[in-house]
Amino acid sequence: MTTQIQENGNQIIAKFSGRLDTNAAIQTAEDVKPLLEATKKDIILDCDALDYISSSGLRIFLKIRKEASANSSKVIVRNINDEISQVFMMTGFVSIFEIQ
Amino acid sequence: MILAEYDERLPLFRRLERIVQITLQNILDSNGLMVTAVSTRIKTRESLAGKLESKGQKYNSLSDITDILGARIVTFYTDDVDHIAAVTEQSFDIDWENSVDKRRLHNTDSFGYSSVHYICRLPKNMVNEPDYPQLNDIRFELQLRTTLQHAWASINHDIGYKTGVEIPRFYLRQINRLAGILEMADDEFSRIRTEINDYRRRVQQLVQNGKLDDVQLDGDTFRSYLQSKPFDMLNRRIAAINQAEIQEVPLDAYLRVFVAFGCKTLGDVSRLCQKYVDDAYALARYQLGNTDLDIISSSVGIQNICIVCILTQGGGKIGLTRLFNALNGDNKKNELLAEMIYKQAKDLPFMQK
Repeated sequence: MTTQIQENGNQIIAKFSGRLDTNAAIQTAEDVKPLLEATKKDIILDCDALDYISSSGLRIFLKIRKEASANSSKVIVRNINDEISQVFMMTGFVSIFEIQ
Repeated sequence: MILAEYDERLPLFRRLERIVQITLQNILDSNGLMVTAVSTRIKTRESLAGKLESKGQKYNSLSDITDILGARIVTFYTDDVDHIAAVTEQSFDIDWENSVDKRRLHNTDSFGYSSVHYICRLPKNMVNEPDYPQLNDIRFELQLRTTLQHAWASINHDIGYKTGVEIPRFYLRQINRLAGILEMADDEFSRIRTEINDYRRRVQQLVQNGKLDDVQLDGDTFRSYLQSKPFDMLNRRIAAINQAEIQEVPLDAYLRVFVAFGCKTLGDVSRLCQKYVDDAYALARYQLGNTDLDIISSSVGIQNICIVCILTQGGGKIGLTRLFNALNGDNKKNELLAEMIYKQAKDLPFMQK
């Protein structure tokens, strides 16, 4: 599981790759820390190469979302695969995030 | 001499300005008052020089001029002007001799500039800086007015300044009669706000007493309904499937879904939810039962009720796509989600009914 963070003007893009399961969540939580400090930015969670997300992964996404709200930033989840779409639907997370 | 005094005291006025800004904001925040604008300004040297030129004989020293520092609060409603006036009276020392409520100066048959002008000082129990004792002596002007009064005053000021000459009586009358219209509008806005608040209280009472059929479905009433947490029990049942934690999310977006379902009253919404609650749970159990997902949002229950309602009424994939478009915005992913849900649900008992 890898997380790459790029800044592009007003956007911060986090590109996730691999399986965001319980084991990977500890490192991913560290990797996304720059997103938690972003103020007035569009935070893009690019899941194009993300194969799987567990509850631990959802909690990381949720923390990013909560911090973003406090920092007047916006979170967009992009390019989720069918399996992750289903997870977002079953858990109701589809209501929490803007999904593109 | 007054201008030299101004130059010398300017840093002190800047310090005072910061204190006044913070104090006014604190007053508004602690009283839960929303306003259009809070602003402060220090009179410029040029403006002061102009004032001295036209009215110089009135002033012996800078302390005779009470509006070197001016603060202004612009409110939405006329009631709020009175409310803020009352709380600022308790916060600042008011120089009543020089303060004026211009709204009360008009005769019964005249209209025009309407604002509350308070000449204030910082009391020692608010600010007591031994190095700057003058902070408690300097007077500043606080203006309180509504947004409409502010609009009238700003335009009146602009017209007066641009023409540079006294406005002909004919035009003056037109401007002043507009002040009358705006006073009526201010009173109407206040009345409407009071009525809406009364309506909300009545609705809350009806919801609390379970008289849902007496309550028309709209944004306000739906919010009151949601405050009674009607989906908590279903959400807790769903959460129990995987011992999940529940994240609270707003559910207001479901109003348009219930309207689309033909619900006219909160009673209709409640009956619809009761009708599908067990099937909504069955759908969640089917979806989550084989996973270890132990976090859900509080939208799961209402979302599943809507899904079941659409599917049992033959809405199919198109109906589900419309639901997701309504909730999440138009998105190609919604068709895919609809397809997935449809496949999952088609073998469930409620689809066989």
